[in-house]
Amino acid sequence: MADSDSRLDRRLAERDKQLVPYLMAGDGGLEWTRVFLEVCDRPGVACVELGVPFSDPIADGPVLQAAARRAIEAGSSLKAVIALVEKFRRKNDTLPLAVFSYANPIAKMGLEDAFKAIAEAGADLVMMPEVPLEESAPFREAAAENGLGVVLFAAPSTDNARLMQIAEHTRGFLYLIGRYGVTGASKELGGDLDAALNRVQAVARTPVAVGFGLSTPEHVEYVHARADLAVVGSALVERLHQAEDPVAACRAFLARLMPE
Amino acid sequence: MRSDPYFELYGGVFAPETLVAPLEELEAAWLDARDNPEFLGEFDRLLRTYAGRPTPITFCQRLTEQLDVHVWLKREDLLHTGAHKINNTIGQGLLAKRMGKERLIAETGAGQHGVATATAAALLGLECRIYMGAVDAQRQRPNLERMKLLGAEVEIVEAGTATLKDAISEAMRAWTADPVSTHYLLGSVLGPHPFPNIVADFQSVIGREARAQVIETLGGLPHVAAACVGGGSNAIGLFRGFLGDPGVKLVGVEAGGRGLAAGEHAARFATGSPGVLHGCCTYVLQDEDGQIQPTHSVSAGLDYAAVGPEHAMLRESGRARYVHETDQSALAAFRTLARTEGIICALESAHAVGWVIRNAESLAGQSVLINLSGRGDKDLDHAIGQLGRVLSAETKEF
Repeated sequence: MADSDSRLDRRLAERDKQLVPYLMAGDGGLEWTRVFLEVCDRPGVACVELGVPFSDPIADGPVLQAAARRAIEAGSSLKAVIALVEKFRRKNDTLPLAVFSYANPIAKMGLEDAFKAIAEAGADLVMMPEVPLEESAPFREAAAENGLGVVLFAAPSTDNARLMQIAEHTRGFLYLIGRYGVTGASKELGGDLDAALNRVQAVARTPVAVGFGLSTPEHVEYVHARADLAVVGSALVERLHQAEDPVAACRAFLARLMPE
Repeated sequence: MRSDPYFELYGGVFAPETLVAPLEELEAAWLDARDNPEFLGEFDRLLRTYAGRPTPITFCQRLTEQLDVHVWLKREDLLHTGAHKINNTIGQGLLAKRMGKERLIAETGAGQHGVATATAAALLGLECRIYMGAVDAQRQRPNLERMKLLGAEVEIVEAGTATLKDAISEAMRAWTADPVSTHYLLGSVLGPHPFPNIVADFQSVIGREARAQVIETLGGLPHVAAACVGGGSNAIGLFRGFLGDPGVKLVGVEAGGRGLAAGEHAARFATGSPGVLHGCCTYVLQDEDGQIQPTHSVSAGLDYAAVGPEHAMLRESGRARYVHETDQSALAAFRTLARTEGIICALESAHAVGWVIRNAESLAGQSVLINLSGRGDKDLDHAIGQLGRVLSAETKEF
């Protein structure tokens, strides 16, 4: 059984402003992902989102679409991600892990079975980008039964009444999608983000994470001036894919984004 | 959401949070418009004076003599732009205007929905961008040119399998980037609520008309109402007219492609299972890891891995029955209908005709109403190439 709250809580208590890296599990091979997880376990990283590749990722831009395709070709799947978490947990009991999956791989395994297996492997949180508040109840119940938390999303288009409910039902943190559009790097943050973040901070009962579009130390700094957690996905995934020495690249990029 | 997103176990709103507000806005506009006499009057006026409604029903004299089955066709192929798709694009186009949207975006497979959307956009003075898979753009070149002529921008989608499924994904992604000024005009009874209900509402004119027409002509109801099922909008349009008539058997015909091996067909009810794709829970073709499987059909309009959630409900309740016909059966029916009735139908619709022809023995003496959802102009090059192979296969058989 995952000891979800405490693992994340301990981590969050270490410092206020932290990073949440996203990895596409199996991009480059599952063994590489396990090594990247070890590299990610450093001060200033609150949690890692471990992406389960899906064939039709409607919330993702070109970088994560391509990464998902590579990961599937390399044999990754929800089952493989669960096995990866289990293997990682045998050596590391401190780094909080969020399994980030589209709904279908979970539905195919069966909601109860999937969440039980995810929890037993040692993950802490589950994130599902196309399961909004309306559809989340059965997922939240199955998660709670297994000691997992479901992270809910808010967006610039979310109205205040929904925000209240999302703030009430999210676990671990509240993920604010920082802008309109899909995942992938933006040049600048701002605009939609500032207004949305003000509204979210007013009702949040958990730390707030901001994601979508963050790719530079300046972006992370911008988010950290306004929220606790900064999510970096596409920019990290693309770097690891391009790098000749991905472990060194991972270490260097995290250090640049979040000096220890 | 103010209305029920579910058809029993199927449907729902599996959309990114960014799209929930636009979906709620759309639902509110639809709930308001569907009871609004002014909106309904304008919709009806455009269907009559622009799209060409009502479409007739045609009795197939020679085919009936050949098969000993009384075959009737609901002639959606006679509509402007050549298929039933225009019913929905005019309806949603009017909704978009009502919501103050400036731009329509849509996905297209064969190009029929893209052309119908571009047409509605031109008619209503809206900007238009169509997402089309690179593979489909290649095999449906004339429709690509039509959309451009109608003033639409066409964005070619190279991602994934570069077909309809990927065009839908890309259109949804584009909608998340600008949901405030853009309306996503989804083309079938698919996607997150309220789309399956909205599209069914606008297409239900088919069944309403057809029911009145058969009663007037036959003096009663048909034994069977049949339609091809891709996403399933033409079938839902027909079926909705007869849901209250338990004596009318409803038959949906999926694409059996080259047989039921994985990747060779689009018969979701034959080898698929419940899953979540493009915003709703329904029957999908997927592998054991929940990855969506590639599909094949000779007709691009049926070549899709999921089926509308209302169909999943109708199948589970037993109200409708779902079967599948192969490419070969559809091609043979395409040719038969051309030669016996002088009607060149869409390869999609030919699947429903093929099912009737192949099951003539068990249907003997019964009256069957087929929704002829589209005309075959778009398919000529493709079908004639394929027909050569069917003919040679038949020669070997006899």
